[in-house]
Amino acid sequence: MTTDWHLDPGLLEQYETGVLGPSRIMAVEAHLLACAGCRALIPADDAWLADSWSAVYDDIHAPRVGSIQRLLTRAGLPEHRFRLLTATPTLRWSWVLATAAVLMLAVAAARVGADSSVPIAQAFLVLAPILPVIAVSGAYGPPADPMHEITGTTPAAGPALVLWRAVSVIGVAVLMATVAAVLLPGPGWYAAAWLLPALLLCTGTLALATVLSLPVAAGILGGLWITGVLAAASDERAVASMFGPTAQLAYLVSAVLAAAVLILRRRRFDLGENR
Amino acid sequence: MRRRRQRPIPPVSEQSSDAELLHAIAAGETSALRLLHHRHAGWLRARLRRRCADPDVVDAAIQDTFVAVWKDSDRYVETSADAAAWLWTIAVRRLLSTLRGPAHRWLSGPADELPDVATTPSAEELVLLGVEHGALGPALDRLSPELRRLIEATALDGLSVREAAKLLGIAEGTAKTRLMRARTRLRELLT
Repeated sequence: MTTDWHLDPGLLEQYETGVLGPSRIMAVEAHLLACAGCRALIPADDAWLADSWSAVYDDIHAPRVGSIQRLLTRAGLPEHRFRLLTATPTLRWSWVLATAAVLMLAVAAARVGADSSVPIAQAFLVLAPILPVIAVSGAYGPPADPMHEITGTTPAAGPALVLWRAVSVIGVAVLMATVAAVLLPGPGWYAAAWLLPALLLCTGTLALATVLSLPVAAGILGGLWITGVLAAASDERAVASMFGPTAQLAYLVSAVLAAAVLILRRRRFDLGENR
Repeated sequence: MRRRRQRPIPPVSEQSSDAELLHAIAAGETSALRLLHHRHAGWLRARLRRRCADPDVVDAAIQDTFVAVWKDSDRYVETSADAAAWLWTIAVRRLLSTLRGPAHRWLSGPADELPDVATTPSAEELVLLGVEHGALGPALDRLSPELRRLIEATALDGLSVREAAKLLGIAEGTAKTRLMRARTRLRELLT
């Protein structure tokens, strides 16, 4: 595709400054597409070219996005949140801890024969609500996070960061516990009965953490839960009633109350301080 | 990162043709992409700037274009169309998606697929090559601006009517009627 007509620098300058008539603009553009020689006439802006190229270079050498991140991004999680959640190694360890503990419980329950399964299943019910609390207590603060001093100075620190981390670890812990609970022998409702107590213990821990430090709050509530269950453990009917409909409703109401306390006192949620 | 290399690609230089560069890019040669970028980014920028006044948007569209070329250069190898026209079809569509896309496009997912369009010159494009001589130039000048923008977007930029409507910010139906009116008017002016 060659024509006898070619562009000259003056015409190109007029084109770039936008003073050409419409039909001549179209002529210049049609010719530019067809003629490599005239394309090369357009003066190169070296600084701009280098900038543009470095942006392209960075883009094609960017680290590949993993499938899990793609899934979470599709679900609406922004990339910087993902970085925030995966950048803390201690956080990963608390995930692994929760996961391993739950799986071990499930294996233990499955190993024991069907006839003696009821006490084992009850042990699961007692321990499963504690696991997310352990995960939460390891999610933030001086004992769990060696970078805490630095994290504490960033604008991201405080309630928002605690809640993001807590949600991520609770998510993993609950998922694993659910899998274990479904594999568990025993009455079907056992598989779901621990969820509301776990919710109460988690929100309660966070609410209590507005007064005490996070691990202490987790320790107090977890201890209360264990002593309460152990005290009732002698009587089989007492344990059953602890997970019965009335008790579940009470757990739900208390969890809502704890969430309300958490929201009201969120400004006191300065977990870096030892109180 | 890329394992597409089947046979050794001859080294590329400033003198290589666009097709050779694109073959080297398909084999994973960053230096070939650099040469292609330096050869074509300038005129793409000049032309895109006539479509969009925001220099940041134009720069982003050009960067997206070459990233897309890097990822999908084997498409070009399959079609072996004219490289400049192929680049332009990518660039003008990247500009479109940047203009109409969400504000934080770099936070959202990867860019959409390259369009499968023929890059053979249309009859109108061939006519436009001769616009400097003959009666078409004055006729185009006498066309009203909104009709001329549509002729430009469809005949010159190679956009579909739907894409042209997006670029101009009008409804697709409006674009169709305007294009029809523009052609009728041109025919009147030329006879």
